[in-house]
Amino acid sequence: MSKQSDTALLVCKGLGKRFGGLVAVADVDLEVRAGEILGVIGPNGAGKSTIFSMIAGALACSTGSLTFSGEVLTGLPTHAMAARGIMRTFQHNKPFVSMSVRENVMVGMHIGFAGSPGSLGPLWQVLMGTRGAAKAEREAARKAEELIDFVGLGEWRNADVATLSFGQGRLLEIARALAAKPKLMLFDEPAAGLTPAECERLSVIIRQISQRGIAVLLIEHDMRFLMALADRVVVLNFGRKIAEGTPAAVQLDAAVISAYLGEISDIKRDVKVDTSGVLANA
Amino acid sequence: MKSLLKFIVAAVLLSSIAFMLGSYQTDVYRKVLLWVTLALSYNFLFGIAGQVAFSHFTFYGIGAYAIVILIFQVGLPLPLAILAGIAICVVLALVVAIPATRLDGFYLALATLAFAQLFIVVLDAGGKVTGSAGGLANYRLPDLFGIKVNGPWYTVVIVLLMLTTLATLWRLDRSYFGRACRAVRDDAEAAEAMGVNVVRTKIIAYTVTSAMAGIAGMVYAFVDNAVNPPIFGLENSFILLFMVIVGGSGRHAGAIIGAVLLYFIPLLLSPIIGHHHALVYGVFMVAVVLFQPKGLIGIWDWLKLRMKLRSRA
Amino acid sequence: MNDFLELIVGATASGCVYALVALSYLLITRPTGIINFAVGEWAMLGAFGGFLVLSRAGLPYPVSMVLILAGMFLIGWATERLTVRPLVERGAPALAPILALLGMLVVFREIISVTVGPDPQPVPPAFGFGRLELGLVAGSYQSFFIITVTAVVFASVWYFFERTLAGKSFEAVAIDRRAASLMGINLRRVTALAFAASAAVAGLAGVLVAPNVAASYLMGVPLAIQGFTALVIGGVGRVEGALLGGMILAFVEQFTVRYAPIPPGLVQGVPLVLLILFLLVRPTGLLKAKT
Repeated sequence: MSKQSDTALLVCKGLGKRFGGLVAVADVDLEVRAGEILGVIGPNGAGKSTIFSMIAGALACSTGSLTFSGEVLTGLPTHAMAARGIMRTFQHNKPFVSMSVRENVMVGMHIGFAGSPGSLGPLWQVLMGTRGAAKAEREAARKAEELIDFVGLGEWRNADVATLSFGQGRLLEIARALAAKPKLMLFDEPAAGLTPAECERLSVIIRQISQRGIAVLLIEHDMRFLMALADRVVVLNFGRKIAEGTPAAVQLDAAVISAYLGEISDIKRDVKVDTSGVLANA
Repeated sequence: MKSLLKFIVAAVLLSSIAFMLGSYQTDVYRKVLLWVTLALSYNFLFGIAGQVAFSHFTFYGIGAYAIVILIFQVGLPLPLAILAGIAICVVLALVVAIPATRLDGFYLALATLAFAQLFIVVLDAGGKVTGSAGGLANYRLPDLFGIKVNGPWYTVVIVLLMLTTLATLWRLDRSYFGRACRAVRDDAEAAEAMGVNVVRTKIIAYTVTSAMAGIAGMVYAFVDNAVNPPIFGLENSFILLFMVIVGGSGRHAGAIIGAVLLYFIPLLLSPIIGHHHALVYGVFMVAVVLFQPKGLIGIWDWLKLRMKLRSRA
Repeated sequence: MNDFLELIVGATASGCVYALVALSYLLITRPTGIINFAVGEWAMLGAFGGFLVLSRAGLPYPVSMVLILAGMFLIGWATERLTVRPLVERGAPALAPILALLGMLVVFREIISVTVGPDPQPVPPAFGFGRLELGLVAGSYQSFFIITVTAVVFASVWYFFERTLAGKSFEAVAIDRRAASLMGINLRRVTALAFAASAAVAGLAGVLVAPNVAASYLMGVPLAIQGFTALVIGGVGRVEGALLGGMILAFVEQFTVRYAPIPPGLVQGVPLVLLILFLLVRPTGLLKAKT
C-alpha cells in the first residue's frame, strides 16, 4: 500500500468540515493516483458534495490537509488550482452561453495562453499581432477540434451552446476541462440527468481519460455506473469513510450494505445495490 | 502584413474625406469619429467584458483636462505632455479599476455613477486649475517639433486614434483574452474553474478601455479648444450606453453603427425636435431593448442570413 | 442651540425625502430584483404634477395630492406594463429591464423638457412658507409636513408588509419568486402593484421637496443618486433601512455643510464619497435583510 502512496497525486489526510455545530465531514483520508479512477459514493447526506467542494478548492477545510504532487493546496484560489492541473466539471452544466462550442473549449486552454501569473507577455504578443500569437491561436483551435471529436460533439462544433441538450452540455463540460491538460479530473455526479445511452458514452470517455494517465476522482450517486467504472471505491456515511477497496470488495462489505439498506427503506429513487448480481458472481 | 495594409487603406480613405470638408462638416466628422472611438472602447468594457460602468466619460474628461493643464499650467512641451497625459490616464484607470472590479452589476454601476458625479464636483470646485464651472478655453494646440497640426491634419490624427482603438480592441477580442472576458461575463465561477484569473481579467479590461477613453479625451481637448464640466457628465455616459445597445452590444460593428446613427439621427430630425436630441436616444433605447435586443447589427446579421439562404436555394 | 435644533429639523426633513426615494427603489427591487434608475424621474414628474395642479390650476392641496398620487400610480403601472412585463415574460436577461428603464429615464425627462420647458417651476408648500415652533424645536411648516407624511407612509408600508396577507405575499415573492408563484401568488399583480406604489412614493417625494428646490427637469438624477445612497447605507433588505439610510445621509450632508472645514464647492462630494465607501466596505448596508 505504501509503495502505491509514493505515486499518489492527490493525498487527503484527515479531511474534516464543520458548519457551526454540524459536522459534515470528519477524518477522511483519500488518495488518487495517476491513471486511476477513484469513485466516492455514499447515501444522501454522507458528505460527498462537501468533500468534492473541499478538494476542488471551493470550500475551506476545517481540519486536515490536501496535497497535490507534494504541494499543499489549502488557501489557493480556484484559478491557481486549475493552473496546477486540477480541473472539475459542474453538476449543473455551466457553459459560456455567448460563445460557440469551440470557443467554450478554447476557454479551457486559457492557462496555456496566459502563461505564468503576472506576466503580460502573451497579452503584448496579442496586441502586436505576432506570428507566435497567431500560431498559438491556430494550434489551440486544432486541439479544440480534437477534444470536441473525442467527446463526440463533432457535429455540433459550431453550434450555439444554448441549442445543446443536457447530455451534450455535459460532454462540453468535459471537453472544456480536458482542454486545460489536467493531471486530476474531478467529476461531480457526471451521470446525473443523463439517459442510459449517454451514461454508456460517458463511461467510455472517463475510462479513456484515465488511460491517458490522468487521475480521476468521481463522485456519483448512480451505483451501477460507478461500480462498473471505478478502479477503487471509497464509501462515505455520515461524513466518515466506512469502506475502501475494489468495487467488488466494497459491495460485499457489511457496513456498506447496511448503510444502503437503511436508505432503501427511505424509498430513494436510484440507489439500488445489485446484490443479486454480486452474489451470483461470488 | 495583411492587417497593416487594411489599416493603411482605411486610414487613407477616412483621412482623404477630411480634406474635402468645410468647417462645419469637419466639426461633425471629428465628433462622429470621437464618438465612434468612445463607443468602441465602451462596447468592449460593457458588451464584451460585461462591466456595467458609467465612468467612461469621466476618463475622457480626465484625459482632456490633464493635457490642457499639463501644457498650459505645468508648462510641459507637447511631446512630454502627451507622454505624461497617457501615463496619468493609465495609472488613474488602474487605481480605479482595482476597487471597482471587486463590485458587480448594480454596485459597480452605482459606484462608477458616484465617481462620475464626484469628478464633476471636483471640476466645479477646482478654482483656477480646472477653471471651475466655466472650464478652460481659448487655448490652441502648440506646434509639434515646429509643425502646426491643425485643420484637416488634426482630423487625420483623430482618424488614426479611431483606427488604432479599433485595431487594438479587435485583436484583443479575437484572442484568448477576449474569450476570457466573455467567459467572466457569462459565468465567472466557471471561468475561474477553467483557470481564468477573474480579478486580473476584469482589471485589465477596465484599465485598458478606460485609458483608451482618457487618450481620446486628450485628442478631444483640441477639437473644440474648450473643456468644461457638463461635457463629461452622466448625460453623455448614458448616451454612450444607448449607442452601444442600439448598435448591438458586444460587437465592434454594432458600436460603430450605434454611434454614427445616434449622432446623426437627432441632427437630421432637428427641424422637428429642435435640441431635444436626448428624446430620440431614449426612445431608440427602449425600442431596441424591447424589440431587437441584439441591436441594429442583429438586423444586419439577419439580412445577411436571409441572402445566404436565398442564394443557396 | 436653537440653530442646532433647527438644523436637526431641516436634516430630518431632507432625510425623509431621501428615505422616500430609497423606499421607492425598495418597493420594486424586493419583489422583482429590478433596479429602477428612473425613480428620480418619477419624483421629478411628481414635482411637475405639483406645479401643474397646484400652481397652474390652483386646486386645493389635498385634492391635488390625491390627483398627483393617482397619476403617479397610473404612470408606474403603465411603465411596468409596457416596458418591463414584455421583457420579463420573454425571459430576457436580468439587465434588460434595467436598461429599458434607463431609456425611460431619459424619455420622461425629455418629455417634460419639451412640453413644460427647461426652466425650473415653482411648487407651493402644503401650508405656506411659515415657521412653526414646538417648544425648543423649530422649523418650516413644510419640514414638519414632510416628516409627518413620511412617518405615515413608512408606518403604513411597515404595517402592510408585516401584518397584511397581501404584504406578506410581497415578502414571499421577494424571498423566492418561483416558490411564491407555485404557491399561487399572482406574480404579475405583485409586480404591477410594486411599480405603481413605487411611482406614487417617488412622486410624493418630488412634490414634498419641490417647494424648496423648484421643479426642474434635471432634478431627477441627483435625487436618484441620493436615494440610492440612502438605500445602500441603510441596507437593501428592509424598509427600515431606507429610513435609516436617508437620515444618516441627510445628517452627514447638513452637518458637513454647516460645521466641517471643507470648501463649499466640495460639500456636494460628501454623499458621493460616502456612497463609494459604503459600496466598497459594506455594500449590504447597515441593516441586514430578514431571512
